[in-house]
Amino acid sequence: MSAIQSAFPGAVLESRVESDRRLWITVDPKRLVEITQFLRDKKDFDHYSGAAGIDRINENLFEVVEILTSHGAHQVVVLMKVKVPRDKPSVRSLTGLYWNANWYEREIWEMFGINFEGHPELYPLLLPDELVGYWPWRKDFKGYPDTTTGERAIEQVGPDGYTEFKIMPHPELIKAGVVPERPKYPTFREREEAEIKSDSEMIMHMGPQHAIVPGPFLLDLLIEGERVKKAFLDVGYIHKGIEKIMENRTYLQGIVYTDRMCYLASITNNEAYCGAVERLLGITPPERAQYIRVILAELSRIQSHLLGTGEFLTLLGAATYSPFQYMIIDREDIVYLMESITGARITHTFVRFGGVRNDLPDGFADKARPILKRMRERTEEYMDLLHSDPIYTRRMRGIGVLSPGDARRLGVSGPPLRASDTPYDMRREDPILVYPDLDFKVVTRKAGDAEARVEVRLEEILESIHIIEQCLDRIPDGPIQEKLPKKIKPEPGEAYYRVEDPRGEMGFYVVSDGSEKPYRVKVRGPVYAYMQALPPLLEGAYVADVVAIAGSMDACTSEVDR
Amino acid sequence: MVLKSLKYTLKTALTTTEVTRLYPEVMMELPANERGIHELDATTCIGCGSCARVCPNSCIELVPYRYGNPLKNRKMQFPQIDYGRCTFCGLCVDECPVSCLKMGKRTEIAGWDRKDIVYGPDRIAVKKFSDREVAELEAEAKRQAEEKKKAAAAAAKEKAAKAKGKENKAKAKPGEGGEA
Repeated sequence: MSAIQSAFPGAVLESRVESDRRLWITVDPKRLVEITQFLRDKKDFDHYSGAAGIDRINENLFEVVEILTSHGAHQVVVLMKVKVPRDKPSVRSLTGLYWNANWYEREIWEMFGINFEGHPELYPLLLPDELVGYWPWRKDFKGYPDTTTGERAIEQVGPDGYTEFKIMPHPELIKAGVVPERPKYPTFREREEAEIKSDSEMIMHMGPQHAIVPGPFLLDLLIEGERVKKAFLDVGYIHKGIEKIMENRTYLQGIVYTDRMCYLASITNNEAYCGAVERLLGITPPERAQYIRVILAELSRIQSHLLGTGEFLTLLGAATYSPFQYMIIDREDIVYLMESITGARITHTFVRFGGVRNDLPDGFADKARPILKRMRERTEEYMDLLHSDPIYTRRMRGIGVLSPGDARRLGVSGPPLRASDTPYDMRREDPILVYPDLDFKVVTRKAGDAEARVEVRLEEILESIHIIEQCLDRIPDGPIQEKLPKKIKPEPGEAYYRVEDPRGEMGFYVVSDGSEKPYRVKVRGPVYAYMQALPPLLEGAYVADVVAIAGSMDACTSEVDR
Repeated sequence: MVLKSLKYTLKTALTTTEVTRLYPEVMMELPANERGIHELDATTCIGCGSCARVCPNSCIELVPYRYGNPLKNRKMQFPQIDYGRCTFCGLCVDECPVSCLKMGKRTEIAGWDRKDIVYGPDRIAVKKFSDREVAELEAEAKRQAEEKKKAAAAAAKEKAAKAKGKENKAKAKPGEGGEA
């Protein structure tokens, strides 16, 4: 902090050191790029973790928060804030410094209308082209259909007798200026077709319904012969606006929505959200609750890795020994264990502010130990099986190689980053709950190819089993819920909390204004970063390998679209 | 290599016992704290509506129902749950101040119509009073209400009397003053 202040006198307007891992600073918008460059080059902040926009309508300001961290050099998270006036918001783009700032800034631009000077492609990312009205996440956005009049769909009977319901405003409303019309941008299709340079090139569509990931997204490949020349990604097919919905729900009700972002990681999403609100409330959960949370987070990691790997192997045509079916059988045991604690199979809504919903059932440890033991044997079998399969190794080894430098530059996290020889794990970097007391190692691989990514996942299952067994041995008796105020109303402030998702770094940025509802919730998801890194990764690959590369990232579109 | 894969296949085929469940005939064993269809204890519900308030999808509505306890639940309002919208998050169960709402092991909700999956208190109540008990309780409630009314009336009379007395005193005072 003092280093920044001495290097840039007068540029830091406000600063707050929350703990030895969080630094909040507000800087002069004009000097944002300089300061960021200083942080990146001199202070090892080489990981751009994300950005959030906040609409401070009462102060007539927009805030953009840039989250900068480091890949293992130190463990400080800098949350750098820039304030710009609301009538003409414009911030210098950081895309020149960090490659992966691209999508984060694009999203802020399309949701809030904050212009980013020097951004290479400010086009809508998540929103459809047909949306009516400007900047939906501003606080003064009325929305359409109009919720005040209750006017919703317009019924139209076509000439062929079919009835259609359209949610479009009357042309008169647009003419009168009640519903503003959005400016026209080149659509996704027009943009990708502009890249076709010669007759030998063509565009191949994969998606929106394609099996490489469970969820709709469009991957268009510009191919020349057998090789991919360029890849284009279109996401936002299932954009749910969860961040905006959570602004209209109380803090407690928000937990339910975090489940639905990605059902394979619902416990870790709960954990990240509740952790952020706990920071705001200034409470820590009792020790038993912390152990229960760790057990569940690791169980959820095991089942997510099993399903992700199994599903991916079916895509590769590994049908002779049907690992998918094996993994589903094993996953069933794990899901049953989780169900016996939480009462639900995938959407748990289990973590509470300062505790958990209910205690472990009687005899849980006795039930869990044999299952974990069996799970360990099975995972070792899978590793042996995959390792000795020549077809599998041929399809995976040396495919989609991410060098350590590239992996850091593209901003991926989780297993793909660890497969590229970077031991970056939130459980180590930003230790939460009882993780500092537990013994586990961060799994890494040197190769950085598709095979390494799958190996990292399988070995992480073993590590998770090891963690759960330690927890079962050590778990103390005691309360599972900290005393809470009757109405959850945190003091005005903001908190950032991140956990290690099965897929990588999951962060929740929650802003409170002192009322019962959060003022703004920003989700920094791991899959968003993978998806962004997919086009450069696919460049130069063979069409046949696209599935192997994209599938080995284990993406979940639902979380990208939130 | 293929033989090795086949070895694992055979091993799995021979050792794993249960893979497919004969679902409609044999239901899987559900854990004790399964979050299925709600179970309402109508004898203790106080009709406070906190379940309806905390529901993130507002699928709970309070509706009148006969077989509850009129002593505790004055307006006889009980939750009705729309399972077309319920996400089984369990917040309503946590919020209930008298723990009369629970979630049970029943999970089959299918119906022919959208109305069929709106479960009123009669369908989710597992514990309720019989007609006779309700009649007794109602009589008791009536008696209590009357007693209360009487007490209130008596209190009001007393109050009025006191007020009158005060008034008299107040009236008397200036009179006294005048006399003096």
